[in-house]
Amino acid sequence: MDIPKGFAFEETSGGVEAYRLEGNGLQTLLLRDATAPVATFMITYRVGSRHEPEGLTGACHFLEHLMFKGSARFNKQAGTSVFNVLQRVGARVNATTWLDRTNYYEMLPEEHLPLAVEIEADRMRGALLQDEDMERERTVILNELDRGENDPVRKLFHAVWAAAFTVHPYHHPVIGWRDDVERLTPDGLRHFYDTYYRPDNATVSIIGDFDKTEALGLVHRHFGQIASPEEALPAMHVCEPAQEEERRVVVRQAGWQGAVMVAWKSPRGLEADTDALDMLSAILSAGKNGRLYRRLTDTGLTTSAWGGISRFCDPGLAYVFARPAPDKTHEEVESAIHATIDEIKENGITEEELQRARNQRKAQAAFSRDGSFSAAAELNEAIAAGDWKLYTAMQDRINRVTGKHIQRVAREYFVEHTCTTGYYIPDGEASS
Amino acid sequence: MSVSPSGQARTPSFAERISEHLIGPCRLIMLRTPIHNVVTWCGSFHSAPDMGNKEELLLQHLVVSMLDKGAGTLDRFAVAEILENKGAELAFSSDVLRIDFSGRALKKDVKEVLGLTALQLREPLLAGEELAKAKDRISASIKRSMESTSAQASGALRRRIYGASHPNYIEESEERLEQLQRLSIDEVRAYHAAHFGANACTLVVVGDVDESAVNEAVENHFAGWPSRDASPHFAETPEEHDPGVSTVAIPDKENVDVRLGHALAVRRNDPGYIPAFLANFALGGNFSARLMQTIRDEMGLTYGIGSSLSGVSTEYDGHWQVAVTLSKEYVQRGIEETVKQIRHFVAGGVTPEELEEKKTTVTGAFKVGLSTTFGLAKTLLSNVEQGFEIAYLDEFPDRVESVSVDEVNRAITQTFVPDSLHITLAGNVREADLSL
Repeated sequence: MDIPKGFAFEETSGGVEAYRLEGNGLQTLLLRDATAPVATFMITYRVGSRHEPEGLTGACHFLEHLMFKGSARFNKQAGTSVFNVLQRVGARVNATTWLDRTNYYEMLPEEHLPLAVEIEADRMRGALLQDEDMERERTVILNELDRGENDPVRKLFHAVWAAAFTVHPYHHPVIGWRDDVERLTPDGLRHFYDTYYRPDNATVSIIGDFDKTEALGLVHRHFGQIASPEEALPAMHVCEPAQEEERRVVVRQAGWQGAVMVAWKSPRGLEADTDALDMLSAILSAGKNGRLYRRLTDTGLTTSAWGGISRFCDPGLAYVFARPAPDKTHEEVESAIHATIDEIKENGITEEELQRARNQRKAQAAFSRDGSFSAAAELNEAIAAGDWKLYTAMQDRINRVTGKHIQRVAREYFVEHTCTTGYYIPDGEASS
Repeated sequence: MSVSPSGQARTPSFAERISEHLIGPCRLIMLRTPIHNVVTWCGSFHSAPDMGNKEELLLQHLVVSMLDKGAGTLDRFAVAEILENKGAELAFSSDVLRIDFSGRALKKDVKEVLGLTALQLREPLLAGEELAKAKDRISASIKRSMESTSAQASGALRRRIYGASHPNYIEESEERLEQLQRLSIDEVRAYHAAHFGANACTLVVVGDVDESAVNEAVENHFAGWPSRDASPHFAETPEEHDPGVSTVAIPDKENVDVRLGHALAVRRNDPGYIPAFLANFALGGNFSARLMQTIRDEMGLTYGIGSSLSGVSTEYDGHWQVAVTLSKEYVQRGIEETVKQIRHFVAGGVTPEELEEKKTTVTGAFKVGLSTTFGLAKTLLSNVEQGFEIAYLDEFPDRVESVSVDEVNRAITQTFVPDSLHITLAGNVREADLSL
């Protein structure tokens, strides 16, 4: 294989080729997609709210906002702000912060790919992070926070995660607690930037109709000069103590449509048991033949019901969410959720259900290659969970899951003492 | 530099790439793309509701929400089993004057799933025992919109601008909830019989398309679908209302959604549409536009602000609106600064450099938007629905490029009238506390 200068080839899987810049450790993933003359460039930093200590919650998200305020080369005063330069060529540009990662991406006509690479390399170490920008952005973020607080379901998710995790930073909402967002300092953000925004803590992904040698050449030219600090990345040692009894939370807010969320502790994203929980979630909630639809929605107990899992670096939550139908109580819905789970714990699932879930995942895998951005989005979460091959190997992992495995994880993880239940109860008095 | 291995070869036009057929009453458009094994389709037909009778829209919603609850000889679980066993996706929705349907499947399954799509549209069971559940789902959806400051502010603006029989009018949630409970299964079935037919039916299929298989499916399942003679009744123009303020007070919502807007005398096929579109884009079309740059980036007053030409069609007039979210303590100032920016924009217009930047943004974003099978299918379908030739899509970038600064600045002064702005607010706010 002809490997461009400066790179070491690491491996290939599912059409994705992985390289590493030898000088600074930057991982580079390439996925050829010739379906349209459009490319997606994405950089994923392995830092998220998981890395935030008490008092600094919301720092990663705040930093993500400030990264758009400019660098010495790309800034508003010069008429070259990141948004301005990229949107001028039709790019979809944005960034997101989540529990284990922060990502920045550009989806743009492929001839402008060099611009995206240049900008992301420039702001990896060249962001200005100025005090006055931080103050202006603080009220923007507080408005974002208020927008989120308007949504009772979002508050319910926050409340359940906060109750389920008492020590681990998954306790915090990604946007941060209001008091912290109001008090975060430039030094606090600079600390995060200097500690985590470095080549050996990042992965760049390029998806589109590109020439491999030229694409790697771009990465080498723009990122190759950035040195990774000699200090090792700080190790994460936070471990959530075992949950020993069921926890319950209630969110009350003016409104008209209640909700129930039942969540259980689940393993790390890369573990095989998470694959089985993933399939169990599909069997619970995929369509009208899903267990939840048949038992809860088709019987008129709920207007909707579905399950989900988390695939994070550290153990997270598997959950069921449901909206009670009019005149049905939260307690009735909660009881039906447990009955649905108990039935699987007792009798397992059918081969037909398992095959249906496999077929659905197979189709979803094909759909995820429809456009460069959807593949980027899935790669992003796999990188965050700890291994980009989670994306390419998912079908094989899913096919290894058996009915017995699903029954075993249902019995092992869906247990009372690791359960956290949340109700959103619309406040009738306030609503009226 | 270009990093494309395919170089700069001319991209064939849509007109050259598509395959088009009239099959019975249905127009079928197919477009093969290099994607492997994935096929996406979007379709629509006229449902021709009488907008003067608000129950008709609710009946339409009820029919649409019951389409997947069994069809022909298949009960709801059998229908679902066909789709779920294949991992295929199928969705139906009501777009006021039209019914939209869309789907996605692996190549080998397209023929069968298209057949199922037709069966659900043509012969839904509309079973009596499903009606109460459908009402509960729609009722839940309406109640969620009552909790949404965004939905409430937008609804209030539309009620200030339009009369009740305009397609863009949105009725009060409480009235919809009451009407919903009164509707019977006989009325639902009668609405389906009178309004669901192959009226101006178009189906666009994009991706790894086996043209003969799709042709056969459409021939077998859509060709014999009769048209209905229902004709739509709706107001084409907004009502004349003096500008004013409406507030929807919602407790516990510290973020207040605000809309500022007025009626718009521009239709999608007017020569002035693209200049007006570019004018609006310069004001509030994206992050680089005036409103985000000033109200968010410089003043820090909001997380999001933007403007749009809303509900504009070739069939009826729409409106222009600015949408902004403001924390409670910034509502007064946020609205004042927004109006100030609008006035400044209308008085000064756009600069040549600003317009050139917006043109390349729009043409580049157009290209990016066509990079998925859904993006292609939806764009092709919308183009047909607006009554444009396929060539319009090829010409669109050139049409954008050809617009002059004078045309855009003329559109600004003719289209946007700050003194005519209605203002609506939704959230934990009292009109009495504001000076608007």
